[in-house]
Parts: sequence; C-alpha cells; structure tokens
Amino acid sequence: MSAAYKPRVPRQFVGGYRPRIDAAEKARGRAPYADDEICDRNYPGLLHARVLRCPYPRARIKHLDTTKAAALPGVKAILTYQDPEVARLKPTNAGWTDAVDTVSYEKMMWSKFRDRRVLGDYGTWAGDELGVAIAAETEMIAEQALQLVEVKWEQLPFVLDPIEAMQPGAPVVHLQIAAHNVLPPDPVGGPDVFLSKGDVEQGFAAADVVIEMDTSHHNPTQGSLDPWCCVAEWKNGRLTVFSNSYAADQTRMHVSQMLDLPINKVRVISKYVGGQFGRGDTGDQPFFLFTALLAKRAGRPVKFKHTRRDSFHDTRQGALYHCRVGATTDGKITALHFKSIGDIGAHADHSVFALKFAPAEVSDAALAPIPNVKMESYAVYTNRIPACMMRGVGNSQFNFIFGRMIDGLAERLEMDPLELALKNFGHAWGVCPDKSLTAVLQTGAARIGWAEKRHKPGQGPLYDGVLKRGVGFSLHPGWHAEWQEERRGQVQAKITLHPDGTVTLDAPTVETGTGSNTCNVLGCAEALSFLGVRPENITWVSTVDTDSGMRDCVQTDSAVSFLQSEVLAVAAQQLKQKLLDLAAPVLGVPAEQLIVTGGQITGPGRNISVKELLWQGDLVPLSVMVSRRPAGTKTGVPYIASFAEAEVDISTGRTQVLKLVIINDCGTVMYASGAESQQIGGQVMAMGEALTEELIYDPVRGVPLNFNFIDYKMPTILDMPAIEPVLLEVWRGAGEYGACGIGEGTLTCSPRAIANAVYNAIGARVDELPLTPDKVLRALGKI
Amino acid sequence: MCEPNILTRATPSSCAGAEANSPPLIPSAPRRITVQINGERREFEVGRDILPTTTLSAFLRERMGYTGLKISCDEGACGACTIIMDGKAVLSCMLLAVEADGHDLLTIEGLPENDPVIEAFAEQCEPGHGTALQCGYCTPGFVMTVRALLNENPSPTLDEVKEALSGNLCRCGCYAGIVKAVGHAAEKIAARRGRT
Repeated sequence: MSAAYKPRVPRQFVGGYRPRIDAAEKARGRAPYADDEICDRNYPGLLHARVLRCPYPRARIKHLDTTKAAALPGVKAILTYQDPEVARLKPTNAGWTDAVDTVSYEKMMWSKFRDRRVLGDYGTWAGDELGVAIAAETEMIAEQALQLVEVKWEQLPFVLDPIEAMQPGAPVVHLQIAAHNVLPPDPVGGPDVFLSKGDVEQGFAAADVVIEMDTSHHNPTQGSLDPWCCVAEWKNGRLTVFSNSYAADQTRMHVSQMLDLPINKVRVISKYVGGQFGRGDTGDQPFFLFTALLAKRAGRPVKFKHTRRDSFHDTRQGALYHCRVGATTDGKITALHFKSIGDIGAHADHSVFALKFAPAEVSDAALAPIPNVKMESYAVYTNRIPACMMRGVGNSQFNFIFGRMIDGLAERLEMDPLELALKNFGHAWGVCPDKSLTAVLQTGAARIGWAEKRHKPGQGPLYDGVLKRGVGFSLHPGWHAEWQEERRGQVQAKITLHPDGTVTLDAPTVETGTGSNTCNVLGCAEALSFLGVRPENITWVSTVDTDSGMRDCVQTDSAVSFLQSEVLAVAAQQLKQKLLDLAAPVLGVPAEQLIVTGGQITGPGRNISVKELLWQGDLVPLSVMVSRRPAGTKTGVPYIASFAEAEVDISTGRTQVLKLVIINDCGTVMYASGAESQQIGGQVMAMGEALTEELIYDPVRGVPLNFNFIDYKMPTILDMPAIEPVLLEVWRGAGEYGACGIGEGTLTCSPRAIANAVYNAIGARVDELPLTPDKVLRALGKI
Repeated sequence: MCEPNILTRATPSSCAGAEANSPPLIPSAPRRITVQINGERREFEVGRDILPTTTLSAFLRERMGYTGLKISCDEGACGACTIIMDGKAVLSCMLLAVEADGHDLLTIEGLPENDPVIEAFAEQCEPGHGTALQCGYCTPGFVMTVRALLNENPSPTLDEVKEALSGNLCRCGCYAGIVKAVGHAAEKIAARRGRT
C-alpha cells in the first residue's frame, strides 16, 4: 500500500485527500444523468427514436419502403436519406476537432476526410447508422417500425484487415477519399513520413547494434456504462439539445453549422456523464442531427438513446508498429525509425491524430536527445468499427512498441533497461539524465522490487511446477502541460461572491467522472483564502448550458484539473480588487491601503469583515468572469511509468498480474484522492486491453460477434491485481500550480509493462495484444 | 379511468380500442399485482400499468421514477440495475415487472439518508486506495449489492466482498476504493449496533 504523497508546497486545500464534491449525491443515486432526466415527466409528449443500422460490413441501400412502418400506430415521424432536409446535409465526420478548441465546419481539423453522410445510403461497417430514423411513442414501437421498413440491400465486398486493405484490388471503403484505402497526406497530419530528424541511415551506420521488432495493438472499446443519449426539442424556432455529450460548445457549433441555424438559435445542455473515456472522438455525432430533424418533423421532443449493442460505437485505434533501433555498445541510441499502420475502421474521424500527432509529441519530449529519428505512418480504412480516441489518442499504441524497444535493446546490449532509459531520454528543454524520469523510474523500481525480482528472461524459479514470474516496466512522457493547451483558446470561469460570504463557482466543464470539479473547488477555495472561504462554502455549477454565455472547457487531454484552477487564481485577484474598491469609501481609506485576510478587510485604524461589508450594501453579488489563454511558456512535461509483476502458468498460458505500480510526476497534485483514483482506475482498462478485452469479428460475414458486456470481457473486481499509486512532484510547469494532466496517461504504459513482465517470466515474446493464453502457449512453442 | 398505456401511451379511448382488438392477456378479470416498494404497498393492473413484457428495471425507472438504478447492459452483465428484493440483491433487468408480484422491493431511494453504506461510499478517500466512485453511474448498483451483503454478513472477508461484487462493473475502476468503503460501512454498522 502507498504512503500518502508529500506535497512540494504545502497548501490549505489544493492537493488534499478528501471526498469528491459530488460523492454524496452520486452514492445516493441522485446525480442527474441525461437518461434519468429525459423522460415524459420532464418532456411532455416525448417521442423515442431508433435508427437503421447496416447489417452488413459494406452495403448500399438500393430501395427503401417505409409504408408499413408509417402505418404502425404510434409512429410519429420518419426520416430517410431521400428526404430533402437530410439529402442537403453536408458530408461530415466526427473529428471536427479533438475538442480542445471549438471549430466551424470549414475549420474542422480533418476537412479532407469528410466520409460521413447523415443517414446516407451507404454503410461501411456492420453497425453504421444509415438510411432511416423513426420517432414513435415508445422505443419499442420505433424498433418495431424499423423492422417493418423494407430495405433492398446491395451487399458489397468488404475487408477487415488493414494489410489486406492496402493490397491492390482490395474492396475500397471510401473511394472519393482514399482510392486504395490509405488516407492521403493532409495539412494537419503532414506527409506519410511525418517526422524526420537528422539522418537515420547514417545513425544506423554508426551503430554497433541494430535490432528490429513489430508490435500489434488491438482496438478495445471505451465501455462507458452510461449509453449515449440525447433529446432534441424545438420551441419557437429554437432548438435545445440536452445530452450526455462531454462537449457543449462544440456540439452547439456542430448542430448550428450542420443544420444551418444561427448560433443563438441552438442551446446545448450537458450534466453528468457516466464515463466518457474518449468515446465518439469529439462528439460531432450525426445522431444529434437526425434526432433534431425528427423532432422538427414530429413537432414534439425526441429522445435518442444507444442500446448497449449500439454503444459499441468507437474504439481505440488498432495499430501495427515496426521499429528499427540502432545503438552503440555503451547504450547510446544513434537512430530510431518507427513505422505504423493504423486500422482506422470505417470512418477516418480523428485517426490521423492518433497515428501522427501523439508519436510526434513524444519526439519533442522523450526522444529529444536522440540525434536521428524518423517516423512514418499509414492510416488504413477497413470495414470494422470506427477507431480513434480512447483515454489518450495513439499514446498507448505507441508505448507498446516504445517500451518493447527499450526492453529489447537493453537485453541485446546486456544492460538494465532502466539504465538504458535514463541514458537516452529526456526532453527538449532539459538535460539528460532527466530529473523527472530519474525520480519516476527509481521510485517504480523500488516499489516493485526490481533489483530482487528481475532476472534474465525465463530464468527465474518455477513455482508449483507450472508458474513463472517476472517484472517489467514501461515509461512515457506525460501530457498535457499549460503550453500544450494554447490551442484551447480562452478558458473561462466565473466566481460569484454572495452577500452572505458564500460562493458560486461556474467553471463550465461536463463532469464525466474525472474529478476536475473537485480540483476546481479546491483551487477556488485556495485562491479565495483571503476570504476565509472553505470548499464546503462553494457551490459548483454542475449543469453546462451554452446559454450561460461561457464556453465549456472540455474533458480532454486530462488537463481541466488544473487549467480552470489557473484561471481561478487570476479571477480571485480581480475579485479581491473589487472588494477593496467597495470597501474603500465605506472605510474612508484608499483601496491601495487596505488588505484583506481571513475574511477581514483592514486599513489604517479601521477594519470591517467582508460579510459585514457586503451585507450592508445593495446585496448585489460580486462577480468576476475571467477568460484566460493557457500560458505558452515552454516547460516540457514530466514522466509517467508503470511497473508490473506478472505470473504466467506455462501449462495453460494464463497470465495473472500480481502487482502494478503506477507512477505519475504531476508537477502539482491538484487533488490527491482524485489523482490516485485515476491511477488505480485506469488499470481496469489497462488490464482489459492487455489481457481480456477483444472485439471479435466473424471473418466470413464481416460482422462483430461480441458487442455486449458478457462476451466483451471488462475486468471485474476479481480480475484486478494489487495496485500501488505513486504521486510525485518533481517537474514543474508554468503558472500558479505548474501542473499537468495525468488521467489518460495512467494506463498508457501498463499493457507494455505487463508484456515485458511476461517476457521476463517466460523468456518468449508476445507482442500482440491482448496477451491471451493461446498466444502465450504459441510463443512457448506448445501449440 | 384508463391511464395511458405504457406501450403506446395512447389516449383512454384508443386504449379501450386496443384492448378490443387484441386477445386478452389473462382470460378472466384483469390481473392485479401487489408490490411493496420502499416500504409502500402498491397495486398495479397487468396490461394497463404493467405490460407482461416490461422488465422490472424499466418499470421502476420509467413508470415509478426510481432513476437511481441504471440500465446499462440490460442483460445481467453489469450490475448497474441492482436492487434488493426480499433482502437479496437482484438484477432488476433480469426480472419482469410482473414477477415482483407479492415481493418486497428496495431501491436506493428507499435507503435512509444516513445509510452507512452510502456514507462510506461518499466518504472514502483513504490514501492509496482512491475514491469509491468517479463517474458514479455504477455506484447505486454497488451500494445495493453491498447493502444486501452486509445485511447477511456484517463482517465479510476480503474474498467474500470480492465475490459478492464480482457481478458489478465499474469502468472507472474504483474497485480498491470500493473495497475500503465496504470495510468502513461494516465498521459503521458495528459501531451503531454497539450504540443501540
């Protein structure tokens, strides 16, 4: 078990161990999720929508007849691809932005890859929404009506494997966009060789040792327990959309631009979300549009909700990586070449971000000291479920080869991989060995028992005749610090001080479970310490409503935990000034001669409590709204690492993880209980994607077989090992706190740490996730 | 007076029409069922208030407004819809509403404000274990499972806790905090018993 971390700077509230601010209402089952609120009581006359899903991996609708469906009692509106309001919708994608910023249709990040038609006639994966959507009095009637729609399909050849999809003559998924299924270079992602530093060939020539390796990361799904749902309601020509999307402002922009509505005629509301984890990339989902159009046709509010099967909708992008690395015998890497092939599934959305942006980000940090680096990538369409963001964007896939490279090269050089890492990685704004990396690796090694437990691959003792144990680790630079969030634009927050001394904090962000709401309340209390305000005196506004006039800071990059607190630090100073300006005439003392501490305003010979001051005035609350762009000071980023101890049964091939140690250098811990929850909690996904979770397709019919929680095996409490969360404050970023995001990264290194531990245990490599018993037995030569 | 039918939400007049057109569900007089929900005895008429095909989870959420329980997988795999029936934790998505006839149901709304399990889940922040919840969507299901466990076994071992909770999924992964919360809940229960 971990000891409590020790903060670098002791603070009153920030960094503490305490319950979440929403824990009580969540534990009582009273937190309002969209599906709880979108009901007949709150929306009289509510209709329910269902949408046709393509039953084949690739098919075109030849003919569609809705006569029988329309005749079913209770059916109130039908929308098909032939209706004018659908047919005139622009082609789109679900990757307008990474949700860091708000963007228009023209400025969407991946404008070359607009491969989605809203309710089109062409399906590119078994599950694609297309053709027809129906609103009816109940969900059951809507579903029944869908069954009555007569569809003549033209089934088309399909491809499920990215390598096959790249071959000449392979079925082409989106002809206009990628004639050979490989996405063309684009202005954001750059050319196929998207990073070239130095000269790798010269680097390899200078090396004493050159090795190559391949890894394969699959596409697990987010598995949010709260299925996606929304309601669209029109009143007086104004559309309101309430949903469990995590991006209110961008959703409003998306709906406004796609439906050609002025921004002030669209209102978007979000409250609590039962787990986001990157699902749907940015949230620019076609279902908002057809739900709104159905509501318009019916003249009644319409709810659309995913079934559990429907919610198998997005995944982490599967990626094949090849790496070639050269080093001198003293362990200095001279050249690195990474090549990846990404299985982006049936829609491009944000996938190039995963394949190019995330690895390129690593090159600025970890790989900065290496003189020759080349990276190339190919994003390939297949007729599988779309893929991209999932608790990170491409980081886990890259880490799976990166950590393999460290482990494999160290073995070849007969070095300790920890020593190899410290010798080679740092970042562009520091020196080697990097202080953060050193602290992270030394701490992890001590906590897992590296010196005692690490042995030559497969050379450890045999337990009970069939069990072998090993330890492994992997490391990654963290993300994101303030400077990496500049593109987010203005981050907004508003503090309102009421005349009785209590505070309302409107720091708009959709609460998805990350705990940033608690970080913000702690940050607000810290910043308002001059008022003597405690966190329990602060009410956090949990509803994000675009009518508030403020943009929400979207839960992406794991950065909201500190971004809004940095704004609050500025806002609090402005509030202090307002308070002193208010006190000056009352006390008859110039504001600059006044100080305020602990809720008392003191001047030469006079003083008054803040509460007294506010209560005797006009009782108008003091409000400060601050918009602030994240500071651009280049500070680099700190490091993260996972250490694993695994036990493999060599007779069955089953891997059991005995212990995980998760180390995050945070810069500043904003909220210790929340940060540890992210560290511990992230391991459920890590364990799942490393060992048990896998989407299985029927290769003959091209359809998925396990889009349910019974056959898609997410870890339960019985499947989880002991987890030790370790928080460090070594690196420091810019601003009041100098923190960086940690939530996504907590699971980035774990699958590779486990795979390296398995190798250390059995001396045979399994480099294809998930590490299922059959692969282990095959690696051992037993099957 | 005919209440809106929960399948069609039809008006009373067409409700009567629907009954005339389809064969009666029960050949004799309309069947009534009696359910105790959170201490209150309620009667419902099958076919009017409850369809024979309605799951208990959907009935409790949509008809009765008990939205604390969640419908996540709708096939008995995640535990988010767990309620207590006659003292045992059950998955309400795996029961039909009519099967609740004659039974005593407890949803999370029926637990007292100071329920020790709720308090322990809300308060958990012991260093090294994280909180007992993050997004909170699975939490009511866990709370009800733990409530039923501690009713039967006030001081479970770690293995017993894990076994009892193995049907509840937490995708945010707060299992370590949940284990701690169960321990704290058991301590609270013991302390309160000691006081009385």
